Amino acid sequence: MSTTTTNHEPTSENQGANWLRAVRQLRHERGGESLAGWLFIGPAVILFTIFNAYPLIRGIGIAFSDYRYLVPGHEPFTGLDNFVEMAHDTVFRESLSRSLEYMLIFVTLNFIMAFLVALLITQIRSGREAGIYRVLSYLPVVLPIAIAVLVWRQLLNSQFGYIDYFLRHVLHLTHTPDFLHDAHWSVPALATVAVWRAAGSSVLLMLVGLYSINAELYEAASLDGAGWWRRLFKITIPLLRPTFAIIFVLGAGVLGATEESLVFFGITDAGPSGAGRLIGRYSYETAFLKGDLRWGYAAAMNLVVGLISIAISGVIFRLLRSGKD
Amino acid sequence: MATTPQATATTTHNPARSRRANALLAQLRGRIGAAVAARVVLYILLLFFVVPLVWTVSASLKSRDELYKATPSLITLHPTLINYTYALRTLHNFGYLYRNSIIVTIGAVLLQTSLATLAGYGFARLRFRGRDLIFYTMVLLIFVPKAGGLMVQYELMNFLGLRNSLVGLIVAFSAGLALPIFIMRQAFLHLPTDFEDAAALDGCNRFQAFRFIMLPMVTGAMVVVALFEFIRVWGEYLFTLTMIDDQKKFTLGIGMVQQFTGPALEFGQFTTYGGQAAAYIMAAAPVVLFFLCLQRWFVRGLLTGLKL
Repeated sequence: MSTTTTNHEPTSENQGANWLRAVRQLRHERGGESLAGWLFIGPAVILFTIFNAYPLIRGIGIAFSDYRYLVPGHEPFTGLDNFVEMAHDTVFRESLSRSLEYMLIFVTLNFIMAFLVALLITQIRSGREAGIYRVLSYLPVVLPIAIAVLVWRQLLNSQFGYIDYFLRHVLHLTHTPDFLHDAHWSVPALATVAVWRAAGSSVLLMLVGLYSINAELYEAASLDGAGWWRRLFKITIPLLRPTFAIIFVLGAGVLGATEESLVFFGITDAGPSGAGRLIGRYSYETAFLKGDLRWGYAAAMNLVVGLISIAISGVIFRLLRSGKD
Repeated sequence: MATTPQATATTTHNPARSRRANALLAQLRGRIGAAVAARVVLYILLLFFVVPLVWTVSASLKSRDELYKATPSLITLHPTLINYTYALRTLHNFGYLYRNSIIVTIGAVLLQTSLATLAGYGFARLRFRGRDLIFYTMVLLIFVPKAGGLMVQYELMNFLGLRNSLVGLIVAFSAGLALPIFIMRQAFLHLPTDFEDAAALDGCNRFQAFRFIMLPMVTGAMVVVALFEFIRVWGEYLFTLTMIDDQKKFTLGIGMVQQFTGPALEFGQFTTYGGQAAAYIMAAAPVVLFFLCLQRWFVRGLLTGLKL
């Protein structure tokens, strides 16, 4: 590193070069820029540590205690008790299975929408036109979650909503479901809203992947007589595998989704006979609405949901990698 | 695609030249057909994204008569602004909600973008002990389950005296720094070191080099960070709901939900469908406009930045 000692006389021609070398040398000295470095990163690191890093550790600690917020000073360490209780808690199991259903619908719909829309956008020659479609698919992402969910409540309204009208008068269905009050439709409706809100980001991720595929590959394949479908299955899809992995992993993250349900059905009402109670919502109710506010139990639930979500991500990564040549 | 077997079947009886012409023609026809089909499918899929927005905009512009017709149209035939004046008149605190949302959003965007830019430069360009360890720890923590969730945040904000205050919201929202720092560090890493060397030659110190040489070259990445934060904070709901007790400090999201959901409203719905739509449009307008103005930067920044 700093062994570039030169014995040249500092003539006017190479004085600049020596200067440059000296500057480089200074920079490369270990710890030479500690003060400046800490001045630059310090504020951000402090804020991050207080508001992000500390809560993570504290949260995991709480999960192993019977912390009740409304009982002053009540935070006894209880080991695995919370997790044992969860295994016998039917509401927990029901909520978790609803969340798994929600995640499954979300991941499937989101993937199909994003892949098709991105793929079809790349088929459009005019850059300006493609840009318009990109923006249109991204607009729902920009909307505040509360507004997005309330807009869908209006759409799904069985008296004045457009969806009911569409099903009745355009598709000529006679029995249209009351999406807001029929328990069967609670989870699919929530998942649809979530896809509407998220698919635009996935479209962008897909486009990043699609644009980075070397165009020469397609040209070479066309010259060899490979048709559009063949190129799709032999080039596009295999090369997009890393993008697929990212989108699926982000999708697995919705297992703990809470906000959609809280806005869609309101804070105190978990939907028709509780059918809108996803696991995130159950944890929220346990922590902020019920009895002593059992923070320990709620944290333990969040921890379990987080670990399941990580496990699913791990499986996805392994599946998408094992298929690699 | 589908026309190629047909083409070969019809051309087998013709001489070579017209066979080639026919094949080309069929290929061309197939290609045009495929392009049209692709477009039609794309439009149908885009309807999923667009119809809810169009419906809301048109509902907000409809008079009551038009709204409750047996066959509602997706496009308003006789636009009226009556719903907007109605919403402004009947919504409680609409002015407060708007003001609070603007304060919190602008505060958080400015604070977070500045912190992330400074830190991104530090992590990308300054050499000191523990730098990479700190950076990779920040990134890895994204994947740790947030068991404490809102509870620990509540406890912490209470302890710091930041609960139930707009300043508290600004500070807490700005602290979500992992991704912004990642983006800014990436942007600085892409710049050649020659610029700083030249600046040092001219007698700039680190801070001057950062301020006058490097900063102007990463504005694209800063726009991406600022836009992400704007969208996130303007749309935030649950954290604000948990931290703010005082009606006067509510932001748009919680104000809207409070007034537009719940059993009490099912009765009132009949009269306010258009008014609600108008309120939603007004609440979403700033973030949508902000996005539309900056989307060119945003998409370009993402497309180049995410390739890494």
